[in-house]
Amino acid sequence: MKVSHEKIDSLLPLYLAGELDLIEIEMVEKHLEDCKECRDALDSFKSLTETFQQEEVQVPSQNLRLKFLEALEEEKKNQGRVISMNKKPSGLTLISLAKIAAGFAILVGTFMMGKGYESKQAELEYALLENEVLKSKEMAMLSLMDNQSASKRIQGVNFIEAFREPDVEILNALTERMLFDENTNVRIAAVEALSNFSVSERVKSAFITALEKEKNPSVQIAIIKNLVRVQEKKATEPMKKLLELEETQPFIKEEIKKGLPQIM
Amino acid sequence: MKELTNEELMTSVSNGQLDTLKILFERHHVHVFNFLYKMCGDKMLSEDLTQEVFYKIMKYRNSYHHGNFVSWMFTIARNSLKTHFKRNKPHDDIENVSFNLIAENEDNSEEYSQLQLALAKLNTSDRELLVLNRFQELKYNELAEITGSTPGAVKTKVSRALKKLRTIYFKEL
Repeated sequence: MKVSHEKIDSLLPLYLAGELDLIEIEMVEKHLEDCKECRDALDSFKSLTETFQQEEVQVPSQNLRLKFLEALEEEKKNQGRVISMNKKPSGLTLISLAKIAAGFAILVGTFMMGKGYESKQAELEYALLENEVLKSKEMAMLSLMDNQSASKRIQGVNFIEAFREPDVEILNALTERMLFDENTNVRIAAVEALSNFSVSERVKSAFITALEKEKNPSVQIAIIKNLVRVQEKKATEPMKKLLELEETQPFIKEEIKKGLPQIM
Repeated sequence: MKELTNEELMTSVSNGQLDTLKILFERHHVHVFNFLYKMCGDKMLSEDLTQEVFYKIMKYRNSYHHGNFVSWMFTIARNSLKTHFKRNKPHDDIENVSFNLIAENEDNSEEYSQLQLALAKLNTSDRELLVLNRFQELKYNELAEITGSTPGAVKTKVSRALKKLRTIYFKEL
């Protein structure tokens, strides 16, 4: 079989990198046997590859690390305001044990003190304060979600981590983001935020509405995963419908096919 | 102990464990820096932009959704570079700017390796693919994700870019 230089020449870099299939390798090697020009070409690619490997790695100055660490510390200070609820347990280290012990000591201590009237007063004030903090967090979250910038809205949606039991207003606002936000990332963030509360019937039916309406595959996947996780039977109909639609992406169909038996 | 993957680490960062970002920084900042340096030929600028990349990773940690971390990181690096050139030379496109940077310095050529000079003569997208594929050892699927293309198309492009580079490189020697 005669093959052009042109063709072999473009295959050579891939030949060197070991990225050809057996048939192509055979073709290249056969050609190389009786073509000096291509053997030279191969040599030049080889030496080019070596040059890449020998190229010196440049090391940035220490300053870069210092500035990064500084920025990180700054960010950690700001982070204090938002409490992450779904931290993954990272195993008990000595330090965390000590922290727990200290926390326990404080708890017992406050309990003893709590017997006195005055500290009861303080507790009440503390509870009121906590309530106020929650209220202002809620305000912050709701207003962020209405922001013009998509990244601010995502920030708002992610604020959900600060609430153990979000009220109807928050859940409604999140649902609205999931159903109507123009930005895909915001909708995905909303799906994830709501996924923590999928026991609620309201949230479940919001997922189903979203599934019927959503056109973007990434969001569809997120919704389907959640519905499968909570084994929502009512989701079978809209899922089957998606299966039948021609425009549904193949990997979405795969996901549904995997998920459906778990629900039914 | 098993080493955590980039993706596991980044997920922990986006869950609020900011300190974990230090590990990712140690693993990758030299790569990001070298990518930028090969692209623009300016060490100071590359340091500033590397700083910016990790700052953005920290700031936008909540928009990380479990995808390939390295692709995500280089996408950010690439955008930072683009934005930088757009901001500073609004009438010039990136092609010219990065080329000029090298050209201006050509008299003290000892600073650049022959390879880097040859790379600078390629157009930006060819150079970018070669730098990422050959220095940073990114896979075709990762490159495809970064450039918004398909692995097959990227493979062909890399191969063609290498051919162009070969011509330039051996002419210069």
